[in-house]
Amino acid sequence: MRVEPLADLEQKLGQLLVTGVIVSALLLAAGLFFFLLDPGMARNGWLLNGGLIVLMATPILRVMVSVAEYVRLRQWFFVVVTVIVLAELTLTVVVALSSRS
Amino acid sequence: MIVITAAMVAVVMACGVVAGALGALLGLGGGVFLVPFLNAWFGIDFKTAAAISLVTVIATSSAVSAATTGRQLINLRLGMLLEVASAAGGVAAGFTITRLSDITLERGFAVATALIAILMLARLEHQNVIRDTAVDPGPLGGRFHDEESGGEVVYRVRRLPVALGVSFIAGNVSAAFGIGGGIFKVPVLNAWCGVPMRVAAATSSLMIGVTAVASVPIQYAHGYVKPPLAAAAVLGVLVGSRVGLWFGVRARSRWLKVLMAFVLTLVSLIYFRRSM
Repeated sequence: MRVEPLADLEQKLGQLLVTGVIVSALLLAAGLFFFLLDPGMARNGWLLNGGLIVLMATPILRVMVSVAEYVRLRQWFFVVVTVIVLAELTLTVVVALSSRS
Repeated sequence: MIVITAAMVAVVMACGVVAGALGALLGLGGGVFLVPFLNAWFGIDFKTAAAISLVTVIATSSAVSAATTGRQLINLRLGMLLEVASAAGGVAAGFTITRLSDITLERGFAVATALIAILMLARLEHQNVIRDTAVDPGPLGGRFHDEESGGEVVYRVRRLPVALGVSFIAGNVSAAFGIGGGIFKVPVLNAWCGVPMRVAAATSSLMIGVTAVASVPIQYAHGYVKPPLAAAAVLGVLVGSRVGLWFGVRARSRWLKVLMAFVLTLVSLIYFRRSM
C-alpha cells in the first residue's frame, strides 16, 4: 500500500505544526500582554517579533520535512515538487533579508 | 502612523476568531474579511491590513492542519503539487500588480467570487465520493472515512490543469489582497475537480500557509506587519479555529457548501462596493 507511509508523514507534519503554533502563540501572548501594560518596553518587541518569526518559519520547516520524507520514500516526482516550493520560499526569505531596513 | 489601543487589540482579536472559525470550517484563511474590515473600520492602509491578514492566514493554516491530521482528509500529494502553481503565481505577483490597477484587481476579484458562488450552488448535489472502495483512486486521488456515507469512500481528482490554474491565480493575488487563496481553491476543487468538500477544505488549509509565507517575509521586512495587531489577530484565530473544528465535524457537506456560497457572495459584494 502506498497510503501507509504518507499517513506517517501526515502525523509528523501535524506534530511540527502544532509545536510551531504553540511556541509562537506563547511568545505572541506574552508580548501582547506586556505591550498592553507598557507599550514602550524593549522586551515586547523581542517577544512579538520572535513569535511572528516562529509562525512564519513553521510552514517553511513543514516543506523541508516533506522534502526529506519524500527522499526517504524515494518518490522522486514529489521530491522535485517540494524542492521547487522550497526554492521559491527560500527566494522570498533572501529577498526579505536583503531588503531589511 | 497607527496608534494601537487596547480596544483596537480586542476588536482585531474578535475578527481573528471569526476568520479562524471560517478557516477551520471551509479551508479559508479569512483574509478576505479581515483586510476590508481593518481598512474600513480602523483606517489602516490596505498594504498594512493585507500584511497583518497574511500572518493570520499562516496561523489558521498551521492550527487547522495540525488538528486535521490523522483523518486522511489532507491530500498531501495534491496539496504539494498545487503549491508549486501558487508559488509560481506568487513570483509573478509583482508583474500583475504593476500591470493592473487596484480598481481592476478588485473588480476582477468581485466578478470571480460571484461566478464561483454560482458554480458552487449549481453543483450542490455533487458528493464526489465513490462508495465502491475497490475503485483505484488514481495517482492524486485518495480514500477516507466519510461519516455521511457511513464508511470508507474513494475520490478521484479530475481536471488537474484547472486546479493548477486556479492555484496559480490564488498565489498571484495573495499578496495584493492579503489572502491565502482558499476562497478560489476550495470551491473549484470541489465543484470542478472531483474533490469532496471536506478534503478540499483540509487540503486548502495546508496550502494557504505556504502561499502566505511566499510573500509575508518581504512585507514583514518592510515593516507592514504591525506586531501587536498581528499578535492579537493570530491569538483570535487560534481560538476561532477550535470553534470551527468543533462545528466542522458535526456539519453536513451540503451545509458547508451553502455556507461557502454565502461567503463568496458576501465577499463579492464587499469588493464590488470597494471598486465603485
